[in-house]
Amino acid sequence: MSSQRQPVATASSYYAHQHHPHHHQHPHHHPSLALHPPHPAAFSPAPPSVYHDPAALASLAYRPLQLPLQHATHQQQTASSEQTQLPLAAQAAGPYQHPSFRQHHSNNNNHHHQLSHRSRAQARQRQLSAMAYQQPPTPASPDDELAQLQKLSEAYEPETTGPLVGQRQPSTAITTEYASADPVYQAKTAALPQKYSHYRTVRGDGKCGWRAVAFGYFEALIHHGDPDRFAMEEARLRSMMNVMVEAGFQAMMIEEFAEETISLLRKVAEAIPLGTAEDALSEAFNDQMTQDYIITHIRTITAAWMKTHDENYAPWLLGQTVDQYCNQSVLPMAAEIDHVGLVALKDALLSPAGMSLEVLYLDRSEGSEVTMHRFDPVNAGGYTIGSVRLLYRPGHYDLLYKPEDLPAPPPPPAATAVPTYLQYGSSHDPVYDLGVSDFMTSIPGMSYANLSQPGWMSSSYASGVDFLNTPAPVQACTQALPTPSAPAPQPQISSQPVYVPASTPSQMVPPPTQMPHELAIRTSVAQPSLAHNDFQHQLSIGPFRASAWQYEPDFVSATSQMPFQTSIFRNSHFNTAHFLNPEFQPEQWDPDDEYATATSSTSSKGSRHKTNG
Amino acid sequence: MSSNKRLMKELGEITASPPEGCTITPPTEDMFIWDVTMEGPTDSVYAGGKYHIQIVLPKEYPFKPPVLSFKTKIYHPNVSNDERGAMCLGMLKAEEWKPPNKISEVLKLVRAVLAAPQPDDAVETGIAEQFKNDRKSFDKVAKEWVGKYAK
Repeated sequence: MSSQRQPVATASSYYAHQHHPHHHQHPHHHPSLALHPPHPAAFSPAPPSVYHDPAALASLAYRPLQLPLQHATHQQQTASSEQTQLPLAAQAAGPYQHPSFRQHHSNNNNHHHQLSHRSRAQARQRQLSAMAYQQPPTPASPDDELAQLQKLSEAYEPETTGPLVGQRQPSTAITTEYASADPVYQAKTAALPQKYSHYRTVRGDGKCGWRAVAFGYFEALIHHGDPDRFAMEEARLRSMMNVMVEAGFQAMMIEEFAEETISLLRKVAEAIPLGTAEDALSEAFNDQMTQDYIITHIRTITAAWMKTHDENYAPWLLGQTVDQYCNQSVLPMAAEIDHVGLVALKDALLSPAGMSLEVLYLDRSEGSEVTMHRFDPVNAGGYTIGSVRLLYRPGHYDLLYKPEDLPAPPPPPAATAVPTYLQYGSSHDPVYDLGVSDFMTSIPGMSYANLSQPGWMSSSYASGVDFLNTPAPVQACTQALPTPSAPAPQPQISSQPVYVPASTPSQMVPPPTQMPHELAIRTSVAQPSLAHNDFQHQLSIGPFRASAWQYEPDFVSATSQMPFQTSIFRNSHFNTAHFLNPEFQPEQWDPDDEYATATSSTSSKGSRHKTNG
Repeated sequence: MSSNKRLMKELGEITASPPEGCTITPPTEDMFIWDVTMEGPTDSVYAGGKYHIQIVLPKEYPFKPPVLSFKTKIYHPNVSNDERGAMCLGMLKAEEWKPPNKISEVLKLVRAVLAAPQPDDAVETGIAEQFKNDRKSFDKVAKEWVGKYAK
């Protein structure tokens, strides 16, 4: 079944076929030579050498011409190496002797020239079918074959490399991964990053579901960030010991598993003020021993919960008692989580902590988006402190994140750092993580812009109002961007422009505070790469722009007809479009003008950009 | 480290109250190798025999199962008839092992299997066949082996 063999087989069969006419012309042709590749290159066990061997390439290139010189060469080679190469040839071609293999050659001998291309494809096809049947050479019956395949599938051990829990990465990687998959996967993975911006791989060693939920549980606590919540969870997990003892576990045996989870809770809680909580968590979960303890702990919690609430789960276990199910599918080291176990784990671990669980099914089912199954917390008065989101691909779980699950962004890297004024709260934080900040800033009024003049104010006015109406959990932002000059996070500033310092504090201009709707003005080193060209262009006109009438003439003419035009004016001879006007200019319809006149000055600015850009 | 803690805990417990018919010799050098002497169950053909069982604990214990081997030869369908004397128990398979399992529970199970061999889950199929079809000969050989090797 080794995939390395395939190219060799292809090569040898290909050569055997291709050079067949030589053998027919050979006076002492022996039938066994039909399978005997005459060219030495065909014997090479390493496929690349076949393709890199100039002689082999030459024979490929000249094959249809059947040059006499080549005949001679090949015959000579064949004759001289016949004796020594035959065993090798048999060895090379041996496993691939499909029943129809030989027949194929004799059938196509006479049509070699016409069929060379087609027969190559045929040979390939046969090769594939030979490969498929190779392991059980000739299965006696479908049952045997199935049994064989079953055996192979059981013996198969998936590749379990990579970190136990990987780094969070943009979920566009999943889209890329499935770019060449079938359309269903393509569509679903293409839509995925719109809702779930990030994901994290979990090693597929059979424990991925357990590990993913456990990791997500800690991560949700970190994201929530409340030290009291950690203390509550510690107390709750300790009290779960009673449930486990009630379920028949020996306290002595399980408390060390619980201790590991609890000590990680403490460790992470202590690391939160230092900002290293995620690192501590990642480190713990990538330590085989530590995560084994934690996974065993949550397995035990799950089993204990199921055993003490068996009326909730027994109906879902087909033909199994809860005890049997726990012994087979929850507690063993190698037991993968299945649906009932997942529900029980959620009930025992996540729901009491106020966390919801979402499972996103990425499979070949109908639809253009991943199918979401949401398990809401059943208690805590519907109060949710966070979500654990799992991406399920048949047989495997990874972690998914929505933008709101992400921690506040780290300070932007120095290269692209600009003094940044965040108009919005956390809803736009992920701009950084998404790597689309350039794109975002190019939207007028959307986010920060490197202004040294207030010329964009009017266009951003609308969004400024939005900003004021947004509760704006800006605290998280300011926490995440601590610099010496940063003011301490103050909840009361949430209705004020929040100044986020960055790498060039000396250039910063304090945010104006006189007018509540005024937006903070920032300075910046010029960063042409940040797609601020539009703004810069706009700003190059002058230090202050009172109205749209100070824009370039073409802009004014494009927009001038709009705001002050009444039907009376338009139909009078004062309108240059009126035929009685001495400077009569016929009106010409232009999509840009249409756009400009259709809406407010914000969009007219957009049209201006179009004209200028 | 944590594994050692667990081992010490279990060792303390098992020495204080060993499972019936078992004597644990405290490990001296290697904490991960335990020597157990198990008496054959009185109501079985192994009655009167004393079996030396070595338990090798993996470094990953309790996340990987311990490995049991009979150092004393025993005629039993579930114990391999070679130097290893490996015992095949479901709960000791890596994929079925549960970390909360304890060694004392394992030893209890071993003793139960001595009392009641499981020929359908055998390592020695020949002995299992004999056990199923010719119980008398099986009992005879087993008793002989007790006298020969397990006294």
